[in-house]
Amino acid sequence: MTPSQRTGGILAAPAATYMLLFFVVPAILLFSYSFWISSGFRIVPDFVLTNYISAIRSPLFLRVTYNAIVIGLVTASVTLCLSIPVGYYLTYVARSKIIFYLILVTWFSSYLVRIYAWRTLLGTNGLLNAVLLQLGIVDTPVQAFLFSPFAVAITLTHIYLPFAILMVVSAMSEIKAELIEASRDLGTSALGAFFRVVAPNAAQGLIGAFMLTFILVAGDYVTPQMVGGSSGQTTGLLIADQFRKTGNWPLGAAQAFLMFLVSLVIYALVLALGRLTGLIPARRKTKPAREVA
Amino acid sequence: MMLLKAVVYATLAYLLIPLVVIILFSFNAEQSFSFPINGYSLRWYALIFEDPQLGQALVKSLMIATATAIVTLVLGTAASLAWLRLGRFGRSVLEILCITPIALPGLFLGVSLLVLAAQLGVRLSTVTIVVSHVVLSVPMLMIAMRARLALFDRTLEEASRDLGASQIGTFKRITLPLIAPTLISCAILSFALSFDEFVVTSFVAGTETTLPMYIWSMMRRTVTPLINSVSTLALLFSIAVMAIGFFVGRFKRASALSERASS
Repeated sequence: MTPSQRTGGILAAPAATYMLLFFVVPAILLFSYSFWISSGFRIVPDFVLTNYISAIRSPLFLRVTYNAIVIGLVTASVTLCLSIPVGYYLTYVARSKIIFYLILVTWFSSYLVRIYAWRTLLGTNGLLNAVLLQLGIVDTPVQAFLFSPFAVAITLTHIYLPFAILMVVSAMSEIKAELIEASRDLGTSALGAFFRVVAPNAAQGLIGAFMLTFILVAGDYVTPQMVGGSSGQTTGLLIADQFRKTGNWPLGAAQAFLMFLVSLVIYALVLALGRLTGLIPARRKTKPAREVA
Repeated sequence: MMLLKAVVYATLAYLLIPLVVIILFSFNAEQSFSFPINGYSLRWYALIFEDPQLGQALVKSLMIATATAIVTLVLGTAASLAWLRLGRFGRSVLEILCITPIALPGLFLGVSLLVLAAQLGVRLSTVTIVVSHVVLSVPMLMIAMRARLALFDRTLEEASRDLGASQIGTFKRITLPLIAPTLISCAILSFALSFDEFVVTSFVAGTETTLPMYIWSMMRRTVTPLINSVSTLALLFSIAVMAIGFFVGRFKRASALSERASS
């Protein structure tokens, strides 16, 4: 170890210790909680799988987890489908500062305010219904906009899209425009150039954006509570309620780790699907490219 | 190409319309959400000042955000300097510890900190809120710094030492001016992040009420246009803070560069 590395170690200590204490230790504690039992008003250390078993056996848990997976997949797919053209446009067509700043503004605008905005837009007396009524498209306000999985998905897409766009932009900015031009010169169509040049090279970033959106959406509990109604509830809300109302923390911890497991499975499936369709190149091809970068 | 442009602008409209609607209706003279708006007034803004609890929540949020920004800046500066000096292994350990939380839902971080506090018997307070906000803002700082530090030329530090500057002198004259702009804009961004944070806060706040938590309780109680005016102010505040952050970052970097060019 060089003296410089030793100084580095000392300088790294405060942040590393902080994150160890307030991120790693709590996560491990939460994991052990999932094997403890809650009896009466006390939580007793134990090593049982009761929480996991009762979570999986609960029809409510299965229903909201199914909801969370569907809403998560739909939101993450729509988010990716919108962030790819925007990212592409910002990277290769026009490096528009204004568009970039507008996206940053939405990213940093208040989380609660955005949920509230969608509630007012989609509600029975909301703007969407007001416009539809005035245009004579519908006769009575449509109730189904708000308090549905649709409302949850459209709000969550709005919340996580800016971040996904920024991830896609940073992934695409590493691919040289000349590569795309070369492929176009060789006769590929615009879409072909995207699938054969951009997608494989930006695969890591695109999958990152998809998975991050999925994980954050599946764990979001405020949006389902505000705009989801009873049909748009997700696992996040169920877990949050264990820690806020019901008070069965070990069960909540088990549900949280089951959701984590679901995310891992989805990740594996997305990777497999990408490899199968050829959108993600095999590992050995990407490695040297990253070393150079 | 036209299609691409259309998709981009439609996406932008989708992102911006909800925010514009909130701002527009905060000036609505009437209580309802009817369109077109019949008259404009500032009555919902006047109501803000009649609510003392709102003021208290605002002050609390400002205090928490300031504390978060300071702690993040201190930890982040040390970690950035460390990142420059560490080898490949040290860097990955530091990155795994300091970046992973960004890929986890706030719910997960919130409940795990709640469990920790309960296990240690710590009372939930402003302190636990600050602790949780720092866990969220350090990853953001590390991501921004890593991109900046990848361009950092360590030979500049070596040259300064070779020319006889002390370690502290080198830090003050070379290292700090180079990384300061990014650090300061990160500190301002962590202020904005903390000011707006709700999900984690709701688990570790105990009986404390921050501004987002107060807005949340308003949202659950009633549908009042007061929420529109408070939201608009919160929105403008976040945008202003963010704009300052970017401006400081750019200005500092530009002045540092021109200084180096002239000397």
